[in-house]
Amino acid sequence: MTPSGNIPVVMVACKVLQSILEQLLPEERMGYRAVFMDYGLHRVPANMTRELQDTIDGIEDPSLVVMGYGLCGNGLNGIMAGNHTLLIPKVDDCIAILLGSRRIYNREFTAVPGTYYLSKGWLESGSHPLKEYEEYAQKYGEKEAAWIMDQQYKNYERLVLVAHSRSDLEKYRPQALEVANYCEQWNMRYEEILGSDRYVRRLIEVIDDPNEGDEEFIVVPAGGQIRQELFWDFQVVTPQKQPTISGQEKTVRSSA
Amino acid sequence: MSEIYEQIATGILEGNVPKIPELVQKALDEGLNANDILNDGLVVGMNEVGNRFKSGAMFIPEVLKSAKAMHAGQELLRSLLAASGAAQTGKIVLGTVQGDLHDIGKNLVGMMCEGAGFEVIDLGFNIEPEKFTEAIKKHQPNIVGMSALLTTTMRAMGYTIKAIEEAGLRDKVKVMVGGAPVDAEFAERIGADGYGHNAVSGAELAKKLVGAA
Repeated sequence: MTPSGNIPVVMVACKVLQSILEQLLPEERMGYRAVFMDYGLHRVPANMTRELQDTIDGIEDPSLVVMGYGLCGNGLNGIMAGNHTLLIPKVDDCIAILLGSRRIYNREFTAVPGTYYLSKGWLESGSHPLKEYEEYAQKYGEKEAAWIMDQQYKNYERLVLVAHSRSDLEKYRPQALEVANYCEQWNMRYEEILGSDRYVRRLIEVIDDPNEGDEEFIVVPAGGQIRQELFWDFQVVTPQKQPTISGQEKTVRSSA
Repeated sequence: MSEIYEQIATGILEGNVPKIPELVQKALDEGLNANDILNDGLVVGMNEVGNRFKSGAMFIPEVLKSAKAMHAGQELLRSLLAASGAAQTGKIVLGTVQGDLHDIGKNLVGMMCEGAGFEVIDLGFNIEPEKFTEAIKKHQPNIVGMSALLTTTMRAMGYTIKAIEEAGLRDKVKVMVGGAPVDAEFAERIGADGYGHNAVSGAELAKKLVGAA
């Protein structure tokens, strides 16, 4: 691939997006290098910033560095571009990328803020409540583990399996249902959402011309820095009063 | 004498729920002051818990266990602290902002503020801006504290401050904010009066905001 300016393209992405990225952006065809980082770096945002910075700094030639990340708990906040140009999806986390757009993410978020998402990557990495419980139970005993889980999950309302193809929904359904069964104790309901590869396809377009302004992507030029406000979209989160079906007033967020 | 404080702080750090009441009782039996046991033992431990959590050296389960131990220690001291005649520090309304249901951090701040002598009114989680303004009118607190875990929801803190302003209540309360993605710069940007980087610093900040520290 010859991206704009003929500079090399390097993908730095979370493992959770590896399969969708590899499928749509195969390295051999696109002629770029991909570095996939460990799952769950976002749990300690300060460490995440450091690890990603080290990875970016380790890229020798000035490159277009495509970040397979969202703001991820502010883990990307503060990263310096150095000699490179950074291209980042303008999303808070990978769920918007899997759903296909930030607009859909906001719609789902507004409908049910207490949603826990499962995806192929997160299930395969063992990042889900059932696995968490099993790990805690081994370490702290069942009673204590149940208490810890309760503290963390009691406010959630919904468990959603998101995949960008029907075959993936089917493939991961049995595992997702096991998790759903465990989460029934908090009355979490189980749903499936067929996401879309739209965001990743858009990414391919933008890689071709990263200088074009785009509301779905952030471009940080060489010498620049990723700042959290680049991800803000005030229109989307302005509270508005709208009547609900029951006629009761409820605060919702407009999906711009 | 400082040895027992160190043992208490270590017990908190280890999340040793059965041990903490024993140690606190031992300290009281030695004639130590309830306030000092709280601040030089329990709070010191909890502060270290907060620091280790932030740096990734401790995770949520350990933090929760430490919080449980802290609670057990505080319960033992509660009546003594009240009886020691320490005037109530002030009143705080706390809530996790709209769209966010993560309340572990907020609950910890509430516990630490109670320990510091505040009356805490906990609104819960997913609290809309209007609920905060209603609570200010109803309870007339000195401070409003907001928390958020997600970058998606932290912006709701700004909207809540705006709602407080629009309701003409901004000069009646101090506003403090906290939560994993929040930092001092963000707090300043949205017009908060302060930012706490962990539960202990949140309670310290609350004391400062009411001129009690």
